[in-house]
Amino acid sequence: MRFQDAARDGRAVVYAGIQADPLVARATDALVAASHPERVMARAVMNGESTDPKTWMAMFSTLFGSDVGEADRRRAEGILAVALEVADRGEQVRSQFRGAIVEALTARLLGRRVGEPAIRRERRILFDGVLAEIHPYDVTVELDGSPEAWDCKWGARGIGDDVLHQLDDARAHAAGEEIGLRTGLVVFDADRSCQVRLARANAPYDGLEIVSLETLDRLGGATP
Amino acid sequence: MTPDADVTVDAAIERALDAYAVLAELGEEIEDEWTYVNDLAAAWRGRLEAVAAARDREAIAPAAATAVDSAIAEIGRISDPHRAIDWLSTYPQVVLLALGEQP
Repeated sequence: MRFQDAARDGRAVVYAGIQADPLVARATDALVAASHPERVMARAVMNGESTDPKTWMAMFSTLFGSDVGEADRRRAEGILAVALEVADRGEQVRSQFRGAIVEALTARLLGRRVGEPAIRRERRILFDGVLAEIHPYDVTVELDGSPEAWDCKWGARGIGDDVLHQLDDARAHAAGEEIGLRTGLVVFDADRSCQVRLARANAPYDGLEIVSLETLDRLGGATP
Repeated sequence: MTPDADVTVDAAIERALDAYAVLAELGEEIEDEWTYVNDLAAAWRGRLEAVAAARDREAIAPAAATAVDSAIAEIGRISDPHRAIDWLSTYPQVVLLALGEQP
């Protein structure tokens, strides 16, 4: 089994520009230290209609109320501000930004556990005697003896049979080479919604880890 | 003292669920996702109804009531069925957090 850079087609070049946008880095910085309710707020704002911060502060009163400490309030305000910037990019573009942010957040959290040098993006995995998948994995951990492959989704609706099959196949092929490949889906959505989506899946997902909004910090080794 | 019916947790959830039903109808316009929309709506409706039953006639804090009503207003602005599907998952999380509950 070996990892390989994905082909740089036109779509990949455009998307690389999104991934490199400073707004993605700022949003990731804000979300990496965020609490679960703050991440729910970010999800709502980045896909919301309202652009007035006061609307969101009223909706998330538990984050902005008078009983909230200064440091927590300031952190929530920072997350709200950057999420509104993403929302302001327009429907088509913000959807790409959201995807890039979930990927970058995944990479940052994984880096806490395994160290940043082991983290790679947009990588394919090749197995001996197996036709290579064209679709790259969003984030990989490339450590001898404990490799990992993660795909990232903005919402539970993004969980589909194709991605489940690809991750399961990779795990099975790695096992065929006596390598334990940890595979998973990181979904910036509630676990309940993920389970609803998975309940109708036709693809296998028994050996797959589902990391949801509630459990994101597990990527970095935390126990929620 | 029994609180006014309009300012209880279960009344806020009832309002939230009425708005949720409208959102689900919008999401159903995406025919390929009809099953998912209905499964999703049923799962979250069940969670919200469980909270309403557990906190029946419990007074709601004014800030929490405002938060729920703000969430209701937000989904009322949605006209795109794809965005409605995304909010079928997001909105119940927002409402539950406003009420001090875990999604």
